[in-house]
Amino acid sequence: MKQKLGVVLVGLAFGVMLSRIGFSSWDEVHRMFTFADPRLVLTFGVAVVALTISWQVIARFSKPRWAPRPIHRGSLAGGVLFGAGWALCGACPSIALVQLGEGQLGALLTLAGIFLGNWLYSVVHERYFRWTMATCADT
Amino acid sequence: MSYLPWYVGGVGIAAVMVAHWLSLRRMMAVSGRYTALVNRLRFGPPKDEGQDLSAEELIRAMREATEAAFGASAMDLPEPESSRPPVSIRSVDRDNVPQTPGTHLLFLGALVVGGLLSALLGGGLGVTSSLHGELFARVAQGSPLGKAALLLGGGVLVGAGTRMAGGCTSGHGLCGVSRSQKGSLLSTLGFFGAGVAASLLLGRLL
Repeated sequence: MKQKLGVVLVGLAFGVMLSRIGFSSWDEVHRMFTFADPRLVLTFGVAVVALTISWQVIARFSKPRWAPRPIHRGSLAGGVLFGAGWALCGACPSIALVQLGEGQLGALLTLAGIFLGNWLYSVVHERYFRWTMATCADT
Repeated sequence: MSYLPWYVGGVGIAAVMVAHWLSLRRMMAVSGRYTALVNRLRFGPPKDEGQDLSAEELIRAMREATEAAFGASAMDLPEPESSRPPVSIRSVDRDNVPQTPGTHLLFLGALVVGGLLSALLGGGLGVTSSLHGELFARVAQGSPLGKAALLLGGGVLVGAGTRMAGGCTSGHGLCGVSRSQKGSLLSTLGFFGAGVAASLLLGRLL
Protein backbone atom coordinates (compact mmCIF):
# COMPACT_ATOMS: atom_id res chain seq x y z
CA MET A 1 0.00 0.00 0.00
CA LYS A 2 2.80 2.35 0.97
CA GLN A 3 4.56 1.35 -2.25
CA LYS A 4 1.47 2.05 -4.35
CA LEU A 5 0.96 5.47 -2.75
CA GLY A 6 4.61 6.34 -3.45
CA VAL A 7 4.32 5.21 -7.07
CA VAL A 8 1.22 7.34 -7.65
CA LEU A 9 2.57 10.48 -5.96
CA VAL A 10 5.95 10.30 -7.71
CA GLY A 11 4.29 9.57 -11.06
CA LEU A 12 1.90 12.51 -10.65
CA ALA A 13 4.68 14.91 -9.69
CA PHE A 14 6.85 13.68 -12.57
CA GLY A 15 3.99 14.09 -15.06
CA VAL A 16 3.22 17.65 -13.93
CA MET A 17 6.91 18.59 -13.90
CA LEU A 18 7.64 17.21 -17.39
CA SER A 19 4.66 19.11 -18.73
CA ARG A 20 5.62 22.37 -16.99
CA ILE A 21 9.16 22.36 -18.38
CA GLY A 22 7.78 21.86 -21.89
CA PHE A 23 9.35 18.45 -22.43
CA SER A 24 6.01 17.16 -23.76
CA SER A 25 5.92 19.69 -26.60
CA TRP A 26 7.15 18.39 -29.96
CA ASP A 27 8.18 21.93 -30.90
CA GLU A 28 10.21 22.48 -27.71
CA VAL A 29 12.01 19.14 -28.13
CA HIS A 30 12.81 20.05 -31.75
CA ARG A 31 14.21 23.40 -30.59
CA MET A 32 16.33 21.55 -28.00
CA PHE A 33 17.81 19.14 -30.56
CA THR A 34 18.48 21.88 -33.11
CA PHE A 35 19.96 24.18 -30.42
CA ALA A 36 17.43 26.84 -31.40
CA ASP A 37 16.59 27.26 -27.70
CA PRO A 38 19.04 26.21 -24.95
CA ARG A 39 16.38 26.10 -22.21
CA LEU A 40 15.74 22.34 -22.16
CA VAL A 41 19.43 21.44 -22.46
CA LEU A 42 20.12 23.74 -19.50
CA THR A 43 17.23 22.15 -17.58
CA PHE A 44 18.77 18.74 -18.22
CA GLY A 45 22.19 19.98 -17.10
CA VAL A 46 20.85 21.45 -13.85
CA ALA A 47 18.99 18.20 -13.13
CA VAL A 48 22.18 16.14 -13.63
CA VAL A 49 24.19 18.44 -11.33
CA ALA A 50 21.45 18.46 -8.66
CA LEU A 51 21.23 14.65 -8.84
CA THR A 52 25.01 14.18 -8.61
CA ILE A 53 25.00 16.18 -5.38
CA SER A 54 21.88 14.41 -4.07
CA TRP A 55 23.32 10.90 -4.58
CA GLN A 56 26.48 11.90 -2.73
CA VAL A 57 24.46 13.20 0.20
CA ILE A 58 22.31 10.04 0.23
CA ALA A 59 25.40 7.79 0.06
CA ARG A 60 26.82 9.61 3.07
CA PHE A 61 23.81 8.78 5.24
CA SER A 62 22.95 5.29 4.02
CA LYS A 63 24.38 2.39 2.07
CA PRO A 64 22.32 2.49 -1.09
CA ARG A 65 22.57 -0.45 -3.50
CA TRP A 66 22.50 1.17 -6.91
CA ALA A 67 22.54 -1.05 -9.96
CA PRO A 68 25.68 -0.46 -12.07
CA ARG A 69 25.15 0.52 -15.71
CA PRO A 70 28.11 -0.95 -17.59
CA ILE A 71 28.68 -0.61 -21.33
CA HIS A 72 27.24 -3.49 -23.36
CA ARG A 73 26.88 -4.09 -27.08
CA GLY A 74 23.46 -2.43 -27.20
CA SER A 75 24.47 0.76 -25.36
CA LEU A 76 25.40 2.91 -28.33
CA ALA A 77 23.23 1.33 -31.05
CA GLY A 78 20.16 1.33 -28.81
CA GLY A 79 20.77 4.94 -27.85
CA VAL A 80 21.05 5.95 -31.51
CA LEU A 81 17.75 4.22 -32.42
CA PHE A 82 16.05 5.84 -29.43
CA GLY A 83 17.37 9.32 -30.25
CA ALA A 84 16.30 9.12 -33.89
CA GLY A 85 12.83 7.97 -32.85
CA TRP A 86 12.56 10.70 -30.21
CA ALA A 87 13.33 13.36 -32.83
CA LEU A 88 10.52 12.00 -35.05
CA CYS A 89 7.71 11.51 -32.52
CA GLY A 90 8.85 14.08 -29.95
CA ALA A 91 8.48 11.67 -27.06
CA CYS A 92 10.61 9.58 -24.78
CA PRO A 93 8.78 6.77 -22.92
CA SER A 94 7.37 8.99 -20.12
CA ILE A 95 6.43 11.79 -22.45
CA ALA A 96 3.99 9.83 -24.63
CA LEU A 97 1.84 9.38 -21.51
CA VAL A 98 2.12 13.01 -20.39
CA GLN A 99 1.11 14.14 -23.89
CA LEU A 100 -1.92 11.90 -23.71
CA GLY A 101 -2.99 13.53 -20.43
CA GLU A 102 -2.59 16.97 -21.97
CA GLY A 103 -5.10 16.06 -24.65
CA GLN A 104 -2.56 15.33 -27.39
CA LEU A 105 -4.32 12.17 -28.47
CA GLY A 106 -1.87 11.51 -31.31
CA ALA A 107 0.38 10.18 -28.56
CA LEU A 108 -1.76 7.02 -28.59
CA LEU A 109 0.06 6.10 -31.80
CA THR A 110 3.41 6.86 -30.18
CA LEU A 111 2.47 4.70 -27.20
CA ALA A 112 1.42 1.81 -29.45
CA GLY A 113 4.72 2.21 -31.30
CA ILE A 114 6.77 2.10 -28.09
CA PHE A 115 5.11 -1.14 -26.94
CA LEU A 116 5.45 -2.63 -30.42
CA GLY A 117 9.13 -1.64 -30.70
CA ASN A 118 9.92 -2.98 -27.23
CA TRP A 119 8.21 -6.27 -28.11
CA LEU A 120 9.87 -6.54 -31.54
CA TYR A 121 13.33 -5.87 -30.15
CA SER A 122 12.91 -8.48 -27.43
CA VAL A 123 12.09 -11.10 -30.09
CA VAL A 124 14.97 -10.01 -32.33
CA HIS A 125 17.34 -9.99 -29.37
CA GLU A 126 16.47 -13.55 -28.38
CA ARG A 127 16.80 -14.81 -31.92
CA TYR A 128 19.92 -13.03 -33.14
CA PHE A 129 21.76 -11.33 -30.27
CA ARG A 130 22.76 -13.06 -27.11
CA TRP A 131 24.52 -10.48 -25.02
CA THR A 132 23.31 -9.57 -21.56
CA MET A 133 21.77 -6.15 -21.39
CA ALA A 134 21.92 -5.07 -17.74
CA THR A 135 18.59 -3.39 -18.28
CA CYS A 136 16.32 -1.16 -16.28
CA ALA A 137 13.97 -4.15 -16.34
CA ASP A 138 14.83 -4.98 -12.76
CA THR A 139 12.12 -2.56 -11.66
CA MET B 1 1.15 29.26 -20.65
CA SER B 2 4.84 29.71 -20.19
CA TYR B 3 7.33 27.04 -19.23
CA LEU B 4 9.37 26.92 -16.03
CA PRO B 5 12.81 28.57 -16.22
CA TRP B 6 15.65 26.06 -16.60
CA TYR B 7 17.05 26.43 -13.10
CA VAL B 8 13.65 25.75 -11.50
CA GLY B 9 12.75 22.92 -13.88
CA GLY B 10 16.10 21.17 -13.48
CA VAL B 11 15.89 21.19 -9.68
CA GLY B 12 12.24 20.05 -9.86
CA ILE B 13 13.04 17.06 -12.10
CA ALA B 14 15.94 16.10 -9.83
CA ALA B 15 13.67 16.33 -6.77
CA VAL B 16 11.22 13.88 -8.36
CA MET B 17 14.05 11.42 -9.10
CA VAL B 18 15.28 11.64 -5.50
CA ALA B 19 11.71 11.15 -4.22
CA HIS B 20 11.47 8.04 -6.43
CA TRP B 21 14.58 6.60 -4.82
CA LEU B 22 13.58 7.53 -1.27
CA SER B 23 10.05 6.13 -1.53
CA LEU B 24 10.67 3.04 -3.70
CA ARG B 25 14.40 2.35 -3.13
CA ARG B 26 14.80 2.13 -6.88
CA MET B 27 16.25 4.47 -9.44
CA MET B 28 13.63 5.84 -11.76
CA ALA B 29 13.72 3.86 -15.02
CA VAL B 30 10.58 4.34 -17.06
CA SER B 31 11.47 2.21 -20.10
CA GLY B 32 12.09 -0.68 -17.68
CA ARG B 33 8.41 -0.52 -16.74
CA TYR B 34 7.44 -0.93 -20.42
CA THR B 35 9.86 -3.85 -20.66
CA ALA B 36 8.37 -5.49 -17.56
CA LEU B 37 4.85 -5.12 -18.97
CA VAL B 38 5.86 -6.51 -22.38
CA ASN B 39 7.60 -9.45 -20.72
CA ARG B 40 4.50 -10.15 -18.65
CA LEU B 41 2.35 -10.11 -21.81
CA ARG B 42 4.79 -12.37 -23.66
CA PHE B 43 5.59 -14.87 -20.94
CA GLY B 44 2.66 -14.68 -18.51
CA PRO B 45 2.96 -14.49 -14.74
CA PRO B 46 6.18 -15.80 -13.15
CA LYS B 47 5.79 -19.45 -12.17
CA ASP B 48 6.70 -19.04 -8.52
CA GLU B 49 4.20 -16.27 -7.94
CA GLY B 50 2.26 -16.67 -4.73
CA GLN B 51 5.22 -18.03 -2.77
CA ASP B 52 5.72 -14.97 -0.68
CA LEU B 53 8.41 -16.13 1.75
CA SER B 54 9.52 -14.15 4.75
CA ALA B 55 13.26 -13.72 5.28
CA GLU B 56 13.31 -16.50 7.91
CA GLU B 57 11.40 -18.92 5.66
CA LEU B 58 13.71 -18.10 2.76
CA ILE B 59 16.83 -18.75 4.84
CA ARG B 60 15.39 -22.02 6.17
CA ALA B 61 14.44 -23.17 2.65
CA MET B 62 17.91 -22.32 1.33
CA ARG B 63 19.53 -24.15 4.27
CA GLU B 64 17.41 -27.24 3.63
CA ALA B 65 18.16 -27.20 -0.09
CA THR B 66 21.89 -26.84 0.58
CA GLU B 67 21.86 -29.74 3.03
CA ALA B 68 19.88 -31.87 0.60
CA ALA B 69 22.34 -31.19 -2.21
CA PHE B 70 25.68 -31.22 -0.38
CA GLY B 71 25.03 -33.01 2.94
CA ALA B 72 24.68 -31.62 6.44
CA SER B 73 28.40 -30.83 6.72
CA ALA B 74 28.02 -28.19 4.05
CA MET B 75 26.37 -25.96 6.61
CA ASP B 76 29.34 -26.11 9.02
CA LEU B 77 30.80 -22.88 7.82
CA PRO B 78 33.56 -21.10 9.71
CA GLU B 79 32.65 -17.78 11.27
CA PRO B 80 33.31 -14.96 8.82
CA GLU B 81 36.57 -13.19 9.62
CA SER B 82 35.30 -9.80 8.65
CA SER B 83 34.38 -7.63 11.58
CA ARG B 84 31.64 -6.02 9.52
CA PRO B 85 28.22 -7.29 10.56
CA PRO B 86 26.41 -9.18 7.80
CA VAL B 87 23.75 -7.22 5.95
CA SER B 88 20.34 -8.17 7.20
CA ILE B 89 18.12 -9.47 4.41
CA ARG B 90 15.15 -7.94 6.08
CA SER B 91 16.58 -4.44 6.28
CA VAL B 92 17.45 -4.47 2.59
CA ASP B 93 14.21 -5.96 1.35
CA ARG B 94 11.65 -4.17 3.45
CA ASP B 95 11.65 -1.07 1.26
CA ASN B 96 12.66 -2.70 -1.99
CA VAL B 97 9.38 -4.49 -2.66
CA PRO B 98 9.14 -6.26 -6.04
CA GLN B 99 6.85 -4.39 -8.38
CA THR B 100 3.89 -6.07 -10.02
CA PRO B 101 2.41 -5.22 -13.44
CA GLY B 102 -0.27 -3.34 -11.48
CA THR B 103 2.40 -1.11 -9.94
CA HIS B 104 3.88 -0.37 -13.37
CA LEU B 105 0.45 0.53 -14.73
CA LEU B 106 -0.19 2.78 -11.71
CA PHE B 107 3.01 4.71 -12.42
CA LEU B 108 2.30 5.03 -16.15
CA GLY B 109 -1.31 6.03 -15.41
CA ALA B 110 -0.14 8.65 -12.91
CA LEU B 111 1.96 10.24 -15.68
CA VAL B 112 -1.22 10.64 -17.78
CA VAL B 113 -3.08 12.23 -14.85
CA GLY B 114 -0.05 14.45 -14.20
CA GLY B 115 -0.20 15.74 -17.76
CA LEU B 116 -3.94 16.32 -17.39
CA LEU B 117 -3.48 18.24 -14.11
CA SER B 118 -0.76 20.38 -15.64
CA ALA B 119 -2.94 21.21 -18.64
CA LEU B 120 -5.98 22.07 -16.49
CA LEU B 121 -3.95 24.27 -14.13
CA GLY B 122 -2.03 25.92 -16.93
CA GLY B 123 -4.71 27.36 -19.15
CA GLY B 124 -7.01 24.53 -20.11
CA LEU B 125 -7.03 21.26 -21.94
CA GLY B 126 -6.53 21.56 -25.69
CA VAL B 127 -7.74 18.26 -27.09
CA THR B 128 -6.34 17.38 -30.50
CA SER B 129 -6.27 14.14 -32.47
CA SER B 130 -2.63 14.85 -33.29
CA LEU B 131 0.03 16.76 -31.31
CA HIS B 132 0.16 20.45 -30.41
CA GLY B 133 2.74 22.62 -32.11
CA GLU B 134 3.10 24.45 -35.36
CA LEU B 135 6.56 23.07 -36.12
CA PHE B 136 5.16 19.53 -35.85
CA ALA B 137 2.32 20.39 -38.24
CA ARG B 138 4.78 21.93 -40.72
CA VAL B 139 7.20 18.99 -40.58
CA ALA B 140 4.33 16.61 -41.32
CA GLN B 141 3.38 18.90 -44.25
CA GLY B 142 -0.11 19.14 -42.74
CA SER B 143 -0.80 15.59 -43.86
CA PRO B 144 -2.61 13.31 -41.36
CA LEU B 145 -0.79 10.31 -42.83
CA GLY B 146 2.55 12.04 -42.41
CA LYS B 147 1.76 12.79 -38.77
CA ALA B 148 0.71 9.20 -38.11
CA ALA B 149 3.89 7.89 -39.73
CA LEU B 150 6.07 10.21 -37.62
CA LEU B 151 4.34 9.17 -34.39
CA LEU B 152 4.09 5.42 -34.98
CA GLY B 153 7.49 5.07 -36.68
CA GLY B 154 9.18 7.24 -34.05
CA GLY B 155 7.45 5.28 -31.31
CA VAL B 156 8.69 1.94 -32.65
CA LEU B 157 12.28 3.28 -32.74
CA VAL B 158 11.92 4.64 -29.19
CA GLY B 159 10.57 1.30 -27.91
CA ALA B 160 13.21 -0.83 -29.66
CA GLY B 161 16.09 1.54 -28.89
CA THR B 162 15.34 1.95 -25.19
CA ARG B 163 15.03 -1.81 -24.75
CA MET B 164 18.26 -2.38 -26.67
CA ALA B 165 20.13 0.26 -24.67
CA GLY B 166 18.53 -0.92 -21.43
CA GLY B 167 17.26 2.50 -20.44
CA CYS B 168 15.89 5.85 -21.54
CA THR B 169 16.11 9.49 -20.53
CA SER B 170 15.33 8.78 -16.87
CA GLY B 171 17.37 5.63 -16.22
CA HIS B 172 20.39 6.42 -18.40
CA GLY B 173 20.19 10.15 -19.16
CA LEU B 174 19.54 11.39 -15.64
CA CYS B 175 20.05 8.70 -13.00
CA GLY B 176 22.89 6.92 -14.82
CA VAL B 177 24.80 9.97 -16.04
CA SER B 178 24.60 11.63 -12.60
CA ARG B 179 26.30 8.51 -11.18
CA SER B 180 28.93 8.57 -13.99
CA GLN B 181 27.92 5.09 -15.19
CA LYS B 182 29.82 4.29 -18.41
CA GLY B 183 26.95 2.48 -20.14
CA SER B 184 24.61 5.39 -19.41
CA LEU B 185 27.12 7.97 -20.64
CA LEU B 186 27.54 6.07 -23.93
CA SER B 187 23.79 5.59 -24.43
CA THR B 188 23.08 9.23 -23.63
CA LEU B 189 25.75 10.34 -26.08
CA GLY B 190 24.07 8.04 -28.64
CA PHE B 191 20.53 9.25 -28.15
CA PHE B 192 21.38 12.94 -27.88
CA GLY B 193 23.66 12.79 -30.92
CA ALA B 194 21.08 10.91 -32.97
CA GLY B 195 18.35 13.29 -31.79
CA VAL B 196 20.39 16.27 -32.97
CA ALA B 197 21.23 14.66 -36.32
CA ALA B 198 17.65 13.56 -37.02
CA SER B 199 16.20 16.91 -35.96
CA LEU B 200 18.59 18.85 -38.17
CA LEU B 201 17.59 16.63 -41.12
CA LEU B 202 13.89 17.02 -40.27
CA GLY B 203 14.36 20.77 -40.00
CA ARG B 204 15.13 20.87 -43.71
CA LEU B 205 11.49 19.97 -44.33
CA LEU B 206 10.39 23.19 -42.62
